[in-house]
Amino acid sequence: MKLLTKTTVYFLIAMVPLLVAAGFYLFNQFSREINYRSDKELISDEIQWIQYLESEANDGITFILKTPDLSFFPTDDAITEYPTLTNIDGYSKKDHAKIPYRQLAQVVSISGNPYQLIIRQSQEQKAALVTDVTRIMLFVFAGLFASTLIFNWAISNRLWKPFRHSLNKIRSAELQKMEAIHFEKTNIQEFNELNASLNYMTGKMYADYVNMKEFTENAAHEMQTPVAVVLSKLELLLQDDNLKDEQVQSILQSTTALRHLSKLNEGLLLLAKIENNQYETTEAISLVEITKKYLHLFDEFIKEKELIIRTNFDDQFTIKLHPVLAGSLIANLLGNAIKYNYNGGTIEITVSKNNFHIGNTSMLDPIPADKLFTKMNSSKDKQESSNGLGLAIVKKIVDVNNLHIIYHGQNGQHSFDIRKS
Amino acid sequence: MKILIIEDEKALQESIVKYLEHQGFICEAVSDFVKGKEKVIQFVYDCIVVDIGLPKGSGLDIVKELKYMESKAGIIIISAKNALEDKLNGLDLGADDYLAKPFYLSELTARINAITRRRNFDGNKVTTFSEIKLEAEARRVTVNDKPVDLTDKEYRLLEYFIANQRRLLTKGAIAEHVWGDEYLHASNFDFIYTHIKNLRKKLIDAGSGDYIKTVYRAGYRFTDT
Repeated sequence: MKLLTKTTVYFLIAMVPLLVAAGFYLFNQFSREINYRSDKELISDEIQWIQYLESEANDGITFILKTPDLSFFPTDDAITEYPTLTNIDGYSKKDHAKIPYRQLAQVVSISGNPYQLIIRQSQEQKAALVTDVTRIMLFVFAGLFASTLIFNWAISNRLWKPFRHSLNKIRSAELQKMEAIHFEKTNIQEFNELNASLNYMTGKMYADYVNMKEFTENAAHEMQTPVAVVLSKLELLLQDDNLKDEQVQSILQSTTALRHLSKLNEGLLLLAKIENNQYETTEAISLVEITKKYLHLFDEFIKEKELIIRTNFDDQFTIKLHPVLAGSLIANLLGNAIKYNYNGGTIEITVSKNNFHIGNTSMLDPIPADKLFTKMNSSKDKQESSNGLGLAIVKKIVDVNNLHIIYHGQNGQHSFDIRKS
Repeated sequence: MKILIIEDEKALQESIVKYLEHQGFICEAVSDFVKGKEKVIQFVYDCIVVDIGLPKGSGLDIVKELKYMESKAGIIIISAKNALEDKLNGLDLGADDYLAKPFYLSELTARINAITRRRNFDGNKVTTFSEIKLEAEARRVTVNDKPVDLTDKEYRLLEYFIANQRRLLTKGAIAEHVWGDEYLHASNFDFIYTHIKNLRKKLIDAGSGDYIKTVYRAGYRFTDT
């Protein structure tokens, strides 16, 4: 539920008792006002009746009148000083519905004789009062409801704009491009605090990221020199004619391991450089040409494994890609297709305008999706010559250059599709 | 053949000198930029092997200096940074070759040989090994003046063997020289066996001695002893 919807609901729920109380108060006010007016009329009526009766009573007549609205008759009760005003229920003459009456009662002295005087006035409008007040309150409530909806919409559009702006920025934030993200000042304090915190956070994340990247790059560079030293010493050592076969094998194994380490370094460096956008280019390159080049380069392996290559270069898959990256992309994919193939297997390469497909047969199980492009994922089937970076590099190249890569693996067939987005 | 090595990592410097001297080169080595610059100004070398990252300066400036002096020496840049810009910069400035660390000493030797041969100081573009003659420009091989028809890869193999004669060459080093380092994708280097077998057969058929010796489980050695 949106924050605004929630506050609206709470607001409206809080408004209900308030409106009921207001209705009650209104009803009472109106009711009192009506009584007051009735009373004034009743008293002036009484005065007129008393005057009239006084003037007529001089002749010694005794009056008796009993109607629903007016009655006076002689009584033995003591004379009351003030009239008594009460609310009573009566029946309307027309439809016999129960309606409220205001009644004035007083025992007055007319020419020395005590008379009971009762005057009633219908307060029919009072019955309608409850309905009226309820209607008014409902109307107010509806008005409030509608206006809060409109206000909320407006508020959400204007007041929350900076918030949603920041949110969108966070959503589209990428670690590599975090430097460019800045959350602007707004005229709302809370959002300013939020944005200031976000600025601090992204700044820190970016700085950490740069540090990390520089560290990787430097570490990889610095490592190459000692590796070069050790490799050169091993190469010299190998020239000793007095070495036993065992010793030669130890040297060779050390050499292989160190070469592997060095290649691993190169891979990490390449990844760092791609992330760093050090391979930007404006020139388009055809993946078909690159593929042909690598098919030629890897010819020895293909022959050695007696692989059948099926190519279908219908169209040129041209894309703006640095030659180094294009080479790395194809070398990794083709290299894998050869490496993880079995003797006599097939490799299929189909290139169309927007799709580059490479598939191969393999004894290996399909790669689980979550491990597909992760760095140095140590699988059981890992071969000695693999550094576990190949697909991570492929993925990075594809991502940085707005391409998509889709993997399919089933029934001993593995394939990758690279598509333009 | 005089070679100057400008490399600040002493241990690596020693390895290079030792290997090159064993291959018959006369070597001098210095460890920093200032001494390197002094040397290239004062003396004439056939080839200069220079590291980019040096104390007190960049190896690229030495390349510039050499070009300014119109030196005829071959220049090979070695660098820990396998950075494309470094490579292109170096080659643009007039370096003849670029090798990223770590490299095989045998590879460096082969590159030095190729460059000095190409630069042709003594008017001799021919490499000989007993009765085998390699004419670098024409890429022609003769045994006792009889031409031998070699494929491109076999030629590269022979060139590499002669540059590193009498040394034990591992299959990995051979593969990297002939096929490039893309081949490190390979899990084994058995495929080079066919090429070596063919080269050996062609040379023997042409009347040369059997110089390619297999070193059990290690690699090959090109030797007349």
